[in-house]
Amino acid sequence: MQATGLIPARFLTIIAHLVLVIVILWTRDENIKMSLAEEYSQSEFDQKNTEFIVALSITLGLFAVELIGFVGGVTMFMSFQGLLSTAAHSAAAIALSYFLFDQWPCEWYWYIFGFCSALPAITEAVYIIGILCFRKGF
Amino acid sequence: MTSVTDLLFPVHKSRDELKQHIIWKNQEYVTNLPLQMLLYFNCFYFPFWFIGSLVILDLKWERLIDLYRIVLVAIYVVYFIIEVVRLYLGYLGNLMERVPELAGSWLLTLLLTFPLILLLNINDNALLLPLERALHILMAIFVGLEVIVGYFAIRAMVNYQVTKYHLQQFSDLDNMEDNEYFPETRYTS
Repeated sequence: MQATGLIPARFLTIIAHLVLVIVILWTRDENIKMSLAEEYSQSEFDQKNTEFIVALSITLGLFAVELIGFVGGVTMFMSFQGLLSTAAHSAAAIALSYFLFDQWPCEWYWYIFGFCSALPAITEAVYIIGILCFRKGF
Repeated sequence: MTSVTDLLFPVHKSRDELKQHIIWKNQEYVTNLPLQMLLYFNCFYFPFWFIGSLVILDLKWERLIDLYRIVLVAIYVVYFIIEVVRLYLGYLGNLMERVPELAGSWLLTLLLTFPLILLLNINDNALLLPLERALHILMAIFVGLEVIVGYFAIRAMVNYQVTKYHLQQFSDLDNMEDNEYFPETRYTS
């Protein structure tokens, strides 16, 4: 398995996604306001705020899983996982850029989360457990 | 110069001959893998960090006071030059196992890059925007980890080369023909 350009590509797309998630974590207000009606109460705002923070925090947790698998060397040289991860995170980076600039309602974040954060993290976890517990791959 | 190196990276004098022999036999290389990974990914991350920082600087140029305009431009110019030199020296020093280059890279990281990136991170008077915060925090993690891992890498490399030099003196004693012959090592001072 030779070192191709896939490894830096995977790293850079993960970092791009991570940076955008941190930026959204810091500037949530506009996105929450877009998902509420014209006049909203503070309790509605707080509820949506909490929900959004939970979604972003879970995303950061899944990032930790994926980064441990990648930087720890467990799945660094697996081309399928690398390709899936690169595609999912670059799609997430593009979608999150639109999310920021066009001020999407915060419910739409769950779709981005499902396809672009949960999917690579789940396959990563499957690979990690497979390698560590069942000694697959070597 | 050896006195400064001895002060920063002291060699354990308590190793006995047997342990030196084991080290000599078992270690084929002292290239540090975590440091190499950090430098590699840092090389890829640096252009994007730099472009992002310049874009943010352009966006907030109007609202900055004069002092921070000058300070931030100076920081970015200096950081660019220092980073290129530091990454190149670190690559060269770690892969070719050369102590002077690696020590130079480590000193550049510790004394120049580390304070600069801390300043970029913490100084709220320069109107830190969220994107800037995210980018600078990542860069600070890279630099901090390189300082810590680099110290251990240099210490291992210095230990290895000192024991190799000592053993070479003993093993080459039979081959020495005249007084002008010195075994060549990479541990130059």
